Amino acid sequence: MKFITRLRKFPFFAWLWFFIGALYFVLPLFATFEFSLSWDPAVPFKAYQRAFEDVRFWRSFIASNIFAVITIIACIILVAPTAYWIRLRLPQARRIVEFITLMPFVVPAIILVFGLIRVYSQPITIPFTDIVLMQAFTQFKLGTNILMIAGYMVLSMPYMYRSVDTGMRTVDILTLTEAAQSLGASWFVIITRVILPNIRSALLSGALLTFAIVVGEVILASFLGVNAFGPYLFLLGQHRAYEPAALSFVSFLLTWFAMGLIQLVTGGQGQTAGGH
Amino acid sequence: MSYLSLQNLTKQFGDTVVVDNFNLEIEKGEFVSFLGPSGCGKTTTLRMVAGFETPTSGKILLDGADITDKAPNQRNVGMIFQSYALFPNMTVAQNIGFGLNVRKLQKEVIKQRVDEMISLIHLEAHANKYPYQLSGGQQQRVSLARALAIRPQVLLLDEPLSALDAKIRVSLRSEIRSIQKSLGITAIFVTHDQEEALSISDRIVVMNAGEMEQVGTPFEIYNFPKTRFVANFVGSLNTADAEIIDPANGIISVGGVQFVSAEGAKGKNKGDKVKIAIRPERFSFAAQQHKDNVLEAIIENITFLGSVVRIQIKIGNSSFNMDTFNNPFLELPKIGSKQQVTCSKEAVLVLE
Amino acid sequence: MAQTAPPKKTPAPTNWKTWLGVAPFFLFAILFLFLPSLRLITASFSAPDGSFTLDNIKQLFTVPLIVNAYKLSIQISAITALGGGILGFLLAYSVTVGGLPKSLRPILMTFSGVASNFAGVPLAFAFVATIGRQGFITHVLKDYLGLDLYSAGFNLYSFAGLSLVYMYFQFPLMALIMAPALDGLKREWREAAENLGATSTQYWLRVAMPVLLPSILGAMILLFGNAFGAYATAYALTGGRIGIVTIQIGAQIRGDVLYNPGLGYAMAVGMVIIMAISLAGYSWLQAKTERWLR
Repeated sequence: MKFITRLRKFPFFAWLWFFIGALYFVLPLFATFEFSLSWDPAVPFKAYQRAFEDVRFWRSFIASNIFAVITIIACIILVAPTAYWIRLRLPQARRIVEFITLMPFVVPAIILVFGLIRVYSQPITIPFTDIVLMQAFTQFKLGTNILMIAGYMVLSMPYMYRSVDTGMRTVDILTLTEAAQSLGASWFVIITRVILPNIRSALLSGALLTFAIVVGEVILASFLGVNAFGPYLFLLGQHRAYEPAALSFVSFLLTWFAMGLIQLVTGGQGQTAGGH
Repeated sequence: MSYLSLQNLTKQFGDTVVVDNFNLEIEKGEFVSFLGPSGCGKTTTLRMVAGFETPTSGKILLDGADITDKAPNQRNVGMIFQSYALFPNMTVAQNIGFGLNVRKLQKEVIKQRVDEMISLIHLEAHANKYPYQLSGGQQQRVSLARALAIRPQVLLLDEPLSALDAKIRVSLRSEIRSIQKSLGITAIFVTHDQEEALSISDRIVVMNAGEMEQVGTPFEIYNFPKTRFVANFVGSLNTADAEIIDPANGIISVGGVQFVSAEGAKGKNKGDKVKIAIRPERFSFAAQQHKDNVLEAIIENITFLGSVVRIQIKIGNSSFNMDTFNNPFLELPKIGSKQQVTCSKEAVLVLE
Repeated sequence: MAQTAPPKKTPAPTNWKTWLGVAPFFLFAILFLFLPSLRLITASFSAPDGSFTLDNIKQLFTVPLIVNAYKLSIQISAITALGGGILGFLLAYSVTVGGLPKSLRPILMTFSGVASNFAGVPLAFAFVATIGRQGFITHVLKDYLGLDLYSAGFNLYSFAGLSLVYMYFQFPLMALIMAPALDGLKREWREAAENLGATSTQYWLRVAMPVLLPSILGAMILLFGNAFGAYATAYALTGGRIGIVTIQIGAQIRGDVLYNPGLGYAMAVGMVIIMAISLAGYSWLQAKTERWLR
């Protein structure tokens, strides 16, 4: 090919936009990393050492992880059978359920926590009587934790549902179920040997996204007064300089790891979330 | 000097040669089909003429001008795509007028030409509809009108009917052919469907693995296939292993049974092992008429295909298919019975 | 493509028992999504003494603090939706039809996924480390180019600085949404346009952009809502000094800074309405795109 035509075909502007985008992505991360190393020139990873030595870090981080795992399990138990049921028996419910999964966008975390607190800071009574069934959720620790998990589930439910629903559609779970039934399989066999294995990657993708959301979440945790990683990091930032930078960078690496796994598992059809 | 001249066109991707030394001279107003299986290079050759692929070597001359290096938007050839490729944001009229718009013709001229094209394809009632409101056949007709609106020198059609239902395919292909004839426009039609190619082309180029197997009229391609590939690809064919007995008199032995061939044994030697080919419809029952070859056959199977009845016969120890027209008043022989069948000596082909 | 669809499966006639299958999901949604939202709505019509009033809604448009909050929120959402939308689109363009090596796309998509999730406290800290007073870029500009950002008037802890931070999760979101949309641009459209004599510019102006416009607008509306609902990033960066709606609501939750609880609820409801309009706009444009590209 002639040189001029080759030159004309060179995607100059495409490279320009890509370069600008890459710069915007990378600079803050690089700066954070660089800053996190600059506490003590003699001991470059001092910030990391100190951060990981803090007992409160571990307490809050582990707590967040536990919350994440519980949220994931609860979300799967709630969402997967629902998605399956809609495909199998109740297509009429699809529109309503999809509408519900759009609601968390309309009711973002700050509003959600506002509403949750107002509703559940009152004791639960039988309507129109004074009989108290249960004290206010916000009054006791377990109650607050339950509220928070419920809140997390609300936030991550759209992603879990969309992931599972797409996964079920891709493998045409309906036809697979009918084939299994015609071959005489019981419901238990169908669930364990047909459904679950085939939506494994969808579940994993949804779980990873939920994990990223929960561990990074700040609003629900701080307003409900739970000792999670988000509030810890925020408080740390009020008093310290280098440790927050170190932990922020670690948090970035974790998110990257989770997203990379999702890409691997779904073959490049990841999803987005936003825990602002 | 032919109107469209493709000279030594070769296209290579890395180590793979997709089109190998393609040579063709096309006259003005001629309708040529490129026929072949998937991957034979027919679409790539077409795209080289359109300018979407650059030949690794070779030349393309259109009406005397060398267009090999011209950009696709400067060639004045009209292309029809398999997937219609109508612009979804424009109506039928706007789609058809697009090429004229781009050439900045006057509004009145554009309107007149668009109206002309719309009545050519009989879609007056749909002029303001969007592509998603039309059926596949309608969309393809719009695509045709859009390409013709710019009065191209050559019309290139890339498997335009493959995405359509069978009935529409048949009616649309004759419509395309009649429009092409009435406008006198040169056309290249790429397809893998031999019936399409045979029914509407002036000439057919049969391609296989990047090479031209044979060029000829539909009659020639079907009745006088030059290579084994062409004989197999176009129409159905019986083949059997054979040995030349008497080259001068065209006598060939197929599993012990002697056949007489008109041209087949020419240039061969006694004892040569060859493959013979006979079209199923060239067989008939000897009871009706005697031709050069009269052979004993055992009826193995009878399949009713509608207008054609396919009878599987065994001659010697080779099986052949014999096609006869369905005749409700003629009694068919019983399976297992012996019959005499006949075929002319021109019907016995020897393949390369 | 003209193909016969598989026979439609008529749903089995349902009775109330079939709906039991989705009951847990509905119950969950009612308890933890609709009930709280409803509470906020009804409470926004309550005066401090408990009676019904429209005063709170009226005050949304009169109290300077609240009007200003909405103005700021709308401004920052619109600016970052537009800016993030443009940059995100260009980025998606570059790795899809732009002609860059195919291997770059998954890398970009992963990074976009990461960046759009990276919002909140860590993002704020990252930007402090980048262009805060002691930030990396601040130093580089001062030491190597003699440009002192902060003396020149720039301040990370301002509206401009916050917008810059918001962009970090806005443009990747746009790239993620637009990449599949750009995939939907059929190669044949470009070829047909070229074949009919159009230049690259003419193709983009007359075919590609009109086809993409609903997707682009829809995505930008989504970005708008995304920024409007953000809280943690703003709070972590500016501590509540920039009084956008979410920050005000947060303050109201902690302690009744407005001296009128109903007002806080009204603010929340106002925000929900804006988010709902934004979602409706996005959905409508999505439907339009899908109809065109069938």
